[in-house]
Amino acid sequence: MHRAMIAMLIAGLALCGGQTLSQPSQPLKARYSADGLYNLANSYARAGKPGLAVLYYERAALLAPDDPDIRANLENVRAAAHVPTEPPKRFTRIAGAASPAWAAWIGVVGIALVGAGLLARRNTPRFRRALTCGILLGIALLALTVSNAMLLWPRMHEAVVLIDQTPARVSPVPMGDTGFVLPEAATVTVTAEHEDFLLIRTRDGLSGWVARANLGAVVP
Amino acid sequence: MRSRPQHWSQLIVAALGLLAPMAVANAMADPAQAYEIVEPSHIKLGESATIRVTSLDGYLENFQLPTVPGLKFEMMGRFQGLEFVGGRAIPAWYIQIRVTPQSVGVFSIPGLTPKSPTVGLEVLTRDAPDPYAWHSQKPTPTPAPMSKAPLPKGIQLKAGDGAFAQLVIPTRPVYVGESVPVDVEVGVRPEIVTSLNGAPALTGGDFRLNDLSRQPLRREQVIEGNPFLVMTWHTALAAVKPGDFSLSVETPLSVIVDTRSAEDRALGARMGWPFSQIMSRKAVTHKDITIASPTSKLKVLSLPTQGRPKDFSGAVGDFQVSSDTSTTRVVVGDPLTLQLRISGVGNFDRVDSTMFDHLDHWKAYPPKSSFTPSDTAGTKGEKVFEQPLIAALPGEQSIPALEFTYFNPGTQRYERVHTQPITVTVSRSLADSSLGAALAVHDAHGAAASRFARGLRPDHPQPQTSVSELRPLYFQPSFLTVPATLVLILAGSWLAVSPQPARTISKAAKRVLEQLEVAARCGDAESFFEVARTELLRTFADRWQVPPDHITSKELKARLGKAGEDIERLVALADEAKYSDDKAAHSDFRRWIGVVREHLAGGTE
Repeated sequence: MHRAMIAMLIAGLALCGGQTLSQPSQPLKARYSADGLYNLANSYARAGKPGLAVLYYERAALLAPDDPDIRANLENVRAAAHVPTEPPKRFTRIAGAASPAWAAWIGVVGIALVGAGLLARRNTPRFRRALTCGILLGIALLALTVSNAMLLWPRMHEAVVLIDQTPARVSPVPMGDTGFVLPEAATVTVTAEHEDFLLIRTRDGLSGWVARANLGAVVP
Repeated sequence: MRSRPQHWSQLIVAALGLLAPMAVANAMADPAQAYEIVEPSHIKLGESATIRVTSLDGYLENFQLPTVPGLKFEMMGRFQGLEFVGGRAIPAWYIQIRVTPQSVGVFSIPGLTPKSPTVGLEVLTRDAPDPYAWHSQKPTPTPAPMSKAPLPKGIQLKAGDGAFAQLVIPTRPVYVGESVPVDVEVGVRPEIVTSLNGAPALTGGDFRLNDLSRQPLRREQVIEGNPFLVMTWHTALAAVKPGDFSLSVETPLSVIVDTRSAEDRALGARMGWPFSQIMSRKAVTHKDITIASPTSKLKVLSLPTQGRPKDFSGAVGDFQVSSDTSTTRVVVGDPLTLQLRISGVGNFDRVDSTMFDHLDHWKAYPPKSSFTPSDTAGTKGEKVFEQPLIAALPGEQSIPALEFTYFNPGTQRYERVHTQPITVTVSRSLADSSLGAALAVHDAHGAAASRFARGLRPDHPQPQTSVSELRPLYFQPSFLTVPATLVLILAGSWLAVSPQPARTISKAAKRVLEQLEVAARCGDAESFFEVARTELLRTFADRWQVPPDHITSKELKARLGKAGEDIERLVALADEAKYSDDKAAHSDFRRWIGVVREHLAGGTE
């Protein structure tokens, strides 16, 4: 009886998960591709709009982090706009090399490997070495996914300055005093929002309120 | 010939005159006293003087800075030293105070200790000649002769002919709320009036007078044969309610009062300095008084109720309006500033920003306002409102005409003025704009474009696949259901599927079971039961860590319970099969194979 209830519960959860996944996506939603975003960014760069170019390169890099063209053009535009760039650290390069989509599915495989290995070890005394290796592999895959997610998490809150000499104000109102100005194509971190203003923090640690229209979120 | 009494009186006065300096010197030698000096005693506006309070009585406890209108006092510090009085060194305590004047005039600073006398400080205008110019080699410029003027009509001198005050207001009726210019004039004789102790104030609370803290215009005039310093404030007042009113201004002053009789004053004048000064030291005192101007009549009319617009905010005067914007091309969400300028004559404090209340399709923030007066009374000028706006919709948007209503006392009716509507082009947000928009600006930014396009790697071929969200899969809630479901399935399986002993049978046990199967097929009961007994006893011996021959029927029952009886029976059958030719049935073999399998897997323990 107990086993039957658990089995029904699992079946119900699996059904819910399947229904969620099978829900049709909204028909009017924009479609993104790394190549399309990269080509769009190139167009903005040729049009003399470094802010928009950097924004779309950043978006393309989210989908294809290991694309050398995206990385090269992003650095090129930033250098032309006199916006400083930081070379990525080794760990960042390794963990960020995998595409987030791949990393997500790798994580699922890792969970499956760990779970199946533990179950098999519990139910059979055979193939213990192979099962242990499978569990360790699953843990390694999960760690890769978690690292990838931790690296990308800050970028979920990043935005690119689209207008040159954008004022960062001390208060979230248009007449607020200007604390400092931001160059076009600079990347900032959004920490809070209030109506039409976003509280940003620069890489130098400066904070100020910027009009929402002057920024483009890397993840819209 | 002189009379005898007159001769004696002159002798007495001469003797007193000789003794007086000695008395003063003796008083100065009295150690139980405190005094203060101000250095310099004549300064210009913008400079500071220093007061040094000296106490020979001991440390000055509970010392408080004085309060004199127009002067700012700051404590500089305390220190201790020695004073040499009459050849003796006496311990002394000092306090130094910085005095910074905020207005021009002659100030009287009261004694800062109960025993110290009042000191005076004269503050001159910045462009006044240097009060210590005699130190320099340059000759002192000759001051311009004072103009002579009669006392204003209807004005009487007060405070011992030392001061007067006058209020000049319009003779015509005014309306409630109307801001009308008025002049407040105060004249003082510097040798009688030592200081002004505050700004002039209107009597009664039915009028509002503009701030008089600003510096008045000053001029020196000879009025009725005496030099007067005449100060004039050009300001404005507004009536709060209608009616007939009598107005006057009051001004607080400090004056010098000479308490000597006329005879003593004449005697002092005859003896001359320094005797006259010594004699008058105790007789002259300072007194705070308030002088008032003669009353002036003013009629205040109420604003007509007929034809009063609903949006009338109380502005009375004559105004003009205009407006413009900081830009006419913006992006959705980008702020622009709408400037509304209201200029003219009137009560600008009642000109408010309610005109901005009807700006549809625009998000408005609280406006900022500033007033720039063009006259000293503050009734003429320009008030500018800066209204930040953010367009809510893209496209050609219009900022509607702004209307302003006021009452014009000249025409005696309500009037309405309005600005022209302004068209603003609002484009979509840059982050959402299409590639076409970017290419459209290509020509306009040709130079910049070439700078950013240099060294770019070429475009990629048209993409074949795409995703609906830029957010990585593992941050999408819909995807997170996949690992969550998987984890739940695995956890459920862990709970639901317990290990099956029969499935965990070893290879050796499998071999034994195969032997049993062969023996059963052949009907070889002897071999069957012998193999079963041997293997079971060996398994139990391994499992229980005892030698096989130590396993007794008692041991089997104790450890296996009811199942032990089966094993005991199997052992007995093995013995029986050796010595008899009985053939066991096929079903018996199957049953015993099941028993052996179960025990080899360790399921019943």
